[in-house]
Amino acid sequence: MELSESVQKGLQSLADATFFDMKTFSVFIEVAFRSLLSAHADRSVLDQPEFKRLDQKLLKHCHTAATTCILEGVKQNADKSTISACLEDVGFDAERTEVFYTTYQVITNLLCYSFKIHSRSQPQTVFFLILIQYFGYRFSLGRCPPHINDVSWRLEYCIKNGHVHKVNEPSYLISLNVENANNGGSSEDLHFSCTMEQLQVANMNLNGCIPF
Amino acid sequence: LSGPESQDHLVGEFGRIAVEFLRKGTNPKIYEGAARKLSVDAETVQHGVEGLMYLLTESSKLMISEVDFQDSVLVLGFTEELNHLLQQLYLENRKEIRHILGELTPSLPHYHNLEWRLDVQLASRALRQQVKPTVTMKLHLEESGGDKSAKVLQTDPATLMHLIQELEKALAELKTTHCRRILRNIK
Repeated sequence: MELSESVQKGLQSLADATFFDMKTFSVFIEVAFRSLLSAHADRSVLDQPEFKRLDQKLLKHCHTAATTCILEGVKQNADKSTISACLEDVGFDAERTEVFYTTYQVITNLLCYSFKIHSRSQPQTVFFLILIQYFGYRFSLGRCPPHINDVSWRLEYCIKNGHVHKVNEPSYLISLNVENANNGGSSEDLHFSCTMEQLQVANMNLNGCIPF
Repeated sequence: LSGPESQDHLVGEFGRIAVEFLRKGTNPKIYEGAARKLSVDAETVQHGVEGLMYLLTESSKLMISEVDFQDSVLVLGFTEELNHLLQQLYLENRKEIRHILGELTPSLPHYHNLEWRLDVQLASRALRQQVKPTVTMKLHLEESGGDKSAKVLQTDPATLMHLIQELEKALAELKTTHCRRILRNIK
């Protein structure tokens, strides 16, 4: 993994026992992972009692370095030997490397446990879903078309309107809830109407999309 | 229309003009041309055609029966042949006229077509070594005026299965006893 000089310096400070003893280091690593996984930025993420004695500028530098290192590892799908080698290069001893990698593995271990529970049924479905969850938060970065999250429907029977009487036809009103990832995650509803025959055709088309 | 100048073929011609005007909008030049041929005012021709247009649109809107149509035109005092001609004009064109009137109704875009593509995302700038199945869809919609639009959308397999289940529930609802009773009894 290639890390910038600034990130390397931040990690070197994190490896230094004069700044971070083991207890402070362990809390710091947990905070760094948590700050990446939460949906919204938390300004008070570094307001831990263990960090009170530390220089705030150093703390922020180390936080940036740690989170960058974590993101780079996830991005490259780095294995244990790659992460260990990278951390050793910046001065992490074996104990600190182990603490870092153990926390890194917690995500994958939790998902593997879920896989074992569900593995009796629809293994292919679970496999795809687990893979999606594993990289789920990283998937939110990047550009893509608006993403369909949900669908609502309404069945109505039109009796008449202002221009035509005796219509007497059923129709569906479909609303797709769509999230636009490129526009700050704003969501909107896409409405359209269709007849029963059109809905049957649309449903047949969607059934054809299923990859298994 | 019942004046001495009117004849069956003339009424037929006025009826053809009325239906054409309902399809494509009015054209005052037609009135002037017809007025010259008949040696009457353009205004007289206009009133005649507009009267026919109103008769056709109202009859089609209400979808009245042949008997009701005959009863309606009876009060105008036309000949039996003329009444029959008008009824034929109504019956031959009412479906099309109802379709034209239906386009005036405020409505949402309606479904036209759905294209889809199954992809697997392998990598992006933010994340390498991915296996992310994605369904990309192009939903074609059509407005009541004929304007078409296409929306490109994306979803994941889990959401896709949820969409299918929900739409199948929607289709199943039409076959329930409650809905069948409504469709059978409100005609």
